[in-house]
Amino acid sequence: MAKWGMVIDLDKCTGCQACTTACAMENNRLPGENWQDVLFYHEGKYPSAKLMWFPRPCMHCEHPSCVDVCPTRATYKTEDGLVLIDWNKCIGCKYCMIACPYGVRFYVDERPLVEPDVRGVFPGAGRGMWSPPYRAPNDREDWVHGVGIQPSGVVSKCTFCYHKISKAPKGVADLDEDIPELKEYVPACVRMCPPKARYFGDLDNPASHVNKLIADKRGVRLLDQTGNKPQVYYLSGGAGASVPGSRAAKT
Amino acid sequence: MSIADDIKLSRRRFLQASGAAGALGIGLNKFPGFVTLTEAKAAPPPAGAGATVITKSICHQCPARCGIDVYTTDGRVHAIYGSSEHPISNGKLCPKGPLGAYILYDPDRFKGPMKRTNPKKGREEDPKFVPISWDEALDTVAGRLNNLRAKGESHRFALLFGRGWGASCAGQLGPFGELYGSPNVPIGHSSICSDGSVVAKQCLDGNASYSAYDYRNANYLLIVGAGFLEAFRPYNNNMQVWGYLRGEKVPKTKITAVDVHLNTTLAASDRALLIKPGTDGALALAIAHVILTEGLWDRAFVGDFRDGVNRFKTGQTVDPAGFDEKWVRGLIEWWNIELKNRTPKWAAEVTTLAERDIVETAREFGGTRPAIALFERGAHTHSNGIYNGMAIHTLNALVGSLFAKGGLMYQMGPPYGPMPVKADDYKDEYAKNGPWKKFPRVDLKGHEDGYLLAKNMLQEVARNHLAGKPYKLDTVMFYLTNPVFSAPNAPQWEEMLKEVFVIDTSPFPGETAWMADLVLPDHTYLERLQDAPTYPFQGFPMTQLRVPAVKPLYDTKYFGDTLIEIGKRMKGPMGQYYKALNNSENVVRHLAKGFEKELGDNGVNGFESWKAKGVWYKKPYHWRQIGGEFYEWDGRGYNRRMTPAEVKDKLLKTESGKFEIRSGKLEHEAAWIARMTGRDPKRLMFPQWEEPKYTGGGDLHFVTPKTAMHAEGRGANLPTAIALFQPTVGGHGAKGALAEIHPSAAKARGIRDGDRIRIKSALGGIEAYARVTELTRPDTVVLPFEYGHWAHGRWATAQARGKGGAHVDTVVVNQSDRVTGMANYYTAKVTVEKA
Repeated sequence: MAKWGMVIDLDKCTGCQACTTACAMENNRLPGENWQDVLFYHEGKYPSAKLMWFPRPCMHCEHPSCVDVCPTRATYKTEDGLVLIDWNKCIGCKYCMIACPYGVRFYVDERPLVEPDVRGVFPGAGRGMWSPPYRAPNDREDWVHGVGIQPSGVVSKCTFCYHKISKAPKGVADLDEDIPELKEYVPACVRMCPPKARYFGDLDNPASHVNKLIADKRGVRLLDQTGNKPQVYYLSGGAGASVPGSRAAKT
Repeated sequence: MSIADDIKLSRRRFLQASGAAGALGIGLNKFPGFVTLTEAKAAPPPAGAGATVITKSICHQCPARCGIDVYTTDGRVHAIYGSSEHPISNGKLCPKGPLGAYILYDPDRFKGPMKRTNPKKGREEDPKFVPISWDEALDTVAGRLNNLRAKGESHRFALLFGRGWGASCAGQLGPFGELYGSPNVPIGHSSICSDGSVVAKQCLDGNASYSAYDYRNANYLLIVGAGFLEAFRPYNNNMQVWGYLRGEKVPKTKITAVDVHLNTTLAASDRALLIKPGTDGALALAIAHVILTEGLWDRAFVGDFRDGVNRFKTGQTVDPAGFDEKWVRGLIEWWNIELKNRTPKWAAEVTTLAERDIVETAREFGGTRPAIALFERGAHTHSNGIYNGMAIHTLNALVGSLFAKGGLMYQMGPPYGPMPVKADDYKDEYAKNGPWKKFPRVDLKGHEDGYLLAKNMLQEVARNHLAGKPYKLDTVMFYLTNPVFSAPNAPQWEEMLKEVFVIDTSPFPGETAWMADLVLPDHTYLERLQDAPTYPFQGFPMTQLRVPAVKPLYDTKYFGDTLIEIGKRMKGPMGQYYKALNNSENVVRHLAKGFEKELGDNGVNGFESWKAKGVWYKKPYHWRQIGGEFYEWDGRGYNRRMTPAEVKDKLLKTESGKFEIRSGKLEHEAAWIARMTGRDPKRLMFPQWEEPKYTGGGDLHFVTPKTAMHAEGRGANLPTAIALFQPTVGGHGAKGALAEIHPSAAKARGIRDGDRIRIKSALGGIEAYARVTELTRPDTVVLPFEYGHWAHGRWATAQARGKGGAHVDTVVVNQSDRVTGMANYYTAKVTVEKA
């Protein structure tokens, strides 16, 4: 069984948000309710001000604090390393949203970010929040794995495109969009990323490209001190001198 | 704000009963009557779980023409990814690409042809459109055109177009004008697009074109005012290249970027230079000065002093007789007349940049091969744009990058087959010698009273029409352009459109449609069959085919067919021509016959294979300059050495066959240029510093860039694009366009972050929300131009937030570069106050 993980090379990321829109369309997200997002920051003053950005999917932690706090066990860790939500069990209590250190969980029953509200323009049926005219084929709806159009009253999150990667051939080390027979199994954000700043593969396979990148370019994890142990690694700089993360063992 | 703070904030969003962003996002839907033209709620296509079909097509959300794989299941488009087999896409897309499915299903799009029933026109006048049949619509247009022709007034019909794609749409417009008899069919939008670079390059190397670039082999990029990671085409491929240059490439390519605010391009570069608007040419002149004084120029391409001793010393003239020029003309004269005193110290004062940064940039650019200097609108949409552009492009000559590996070149065209019929065979006496022949174009393009050297002057149409000089138009048709929103001094277009019969062909309810008498809606792009030769890319010939992923959802018609159907209704041989042409698919099929002899690298050899793969291309580019000599591809390599005559014919297309720093083209028209501009006829042919003529009368520069989410005019009505519109300054989640203003400028005016502000020029005022930021120059206000729509769909008008909406071209004065014809979009100065 694979342990899926993502590597994001910050030296290559252009901050374009193609990951965000690819995710939004693939997962029928409400406008601005971005499972995958790019956060922008700045510091300093003109003429030497600094603009930065940070691409952020769900970290699919090894020790997810969201899972620990969920009172109904709706949110859970899968055998292949994903953190998912069973929408049949979720009661929308939002404990997980408070427990998550990364802000990557979404409860979207309130006021829309963009008006007019698309939910009024493309109304959904039953508990479906809306029905976008470009929505995914109906047979993709999979509430057990939190896949499909988010119903009202539940929390949702990035699934690493579970509906794609769960169909990937068993035993592959990496899901690389440049390999024609694998591209349909690659998460949307990885597949779309124009500068190819994203890589997706098996963290349990020492021969995977993602593990080699983490090793060669000194991959780090966000807020590593929380002990959540994200399965998303960031590459930056690649110098030998670096801040050791919790994955590092003293030599 | 730290990362941790921001995460806490977003985590807390669920606690907000009503977010501030949401409250700001509520807009007045100003024209409910307009919206009722369409169904209030869109009916989604049938559901299903059948087989998924992938159609190979091309995107339509910028000029780049990326190959797309359109995923359709049971007739419903539900995903768009980049085509892996397409040379531009390589499986990737920019952030706009995936949103294309939304454009197809836009609930505000027109459902069929309509005519206006309210004779009054204006922003506040509901057109009261009623549906009509295509026959009635086409007969109405043909009737008007036949009547004008019968009266000898055919010149009073104009067809204005913007994003022309290929031979089956824009390519048909020229023959239509010649057969019908109007100098105004067509008038392209290039002068409100980017002619500043096209004409600057034409003046220097004879190629009136954007450049193709070999970035992957370049070791240095100097990017001036081009928004390489936001707007410069092909955006998607630029980012692929960026990832390679900054990731895998050995050695890593160093990049300096120049702009007026800190955008993602500048932030991702090695050096960001925040330059005073309109002074980019001064920076380029100083870089050239350093390249020459420090002996960094490429001797194999440029030439050298006969004795090999560098005599370029600051402030000292040089004897031209002592220098042998190779592929440039006029270098020593340029030095003597302009460059010798253009030091980094001088440029630092003009540009406000640090002298140290200018010198370092110059040494890196001059000392790294291959190096590319590229520029676009930021540098040339000013009164001095021709010179800014020429100064920057000349840097490419100085370092020998023209047609070199890792340099820049020009795009080859596709080997299309001939059209089914020849327009020349269908010209009647009127077409050949009718009264229309004596009329100039209404925009006075190519006329000595107007813009003799320009390619188009679309921005002059409204002004000239209103003045009746050279004459008044009667009927105006629009294809993929919306100058009533996007031209400088846009309100002038509202006045013009009130006076003429307006035919719009957009599928979307834009401002032009709001002023239209007749709407003949096009298919949206996922419904079209349409050819599109590549924009300048990597030089090798390539042409794409837009292939319908679904049958048209509504009663719309591809513009190419609308034109043919109008043509069939014209009297005389013109009607016969269009009957023989038959339809646009017939045109495309004939184009594809050219591939029978020129098999594409991907096996495309005719119409069916082109349609299956969506692209024909054939590598490589045919020419290369190596070490100061030019070679042609012989089938195996760049082996065949070219003669100077061949170089002149194919590559350096100037009178001298050289890169003319002393521009023969400008010299030829020196008397006219001097008369129109007051420039010195003895030196106006050289790249030089000239103070820009700022317009508008204010104290802050006003710059209105394109953002990554622009989507060729549709971004403002795409909810997901709205939510991601201006991320660098926190325009996340439907705050709409924010006016970036520096803290010092804001404080001096009593403006705080988030305040509603009024931006005024001599033309009037608009309102926007202030984002007080250190990312923008203290003397400049930046407001992206996508917002402020007073039509264009329910989300677009909601973002405009009422009458004071941020329609930037309300306050941008209509001034153009007299040589290039480029509208001076970024040269306005405004006053800013709290609203």
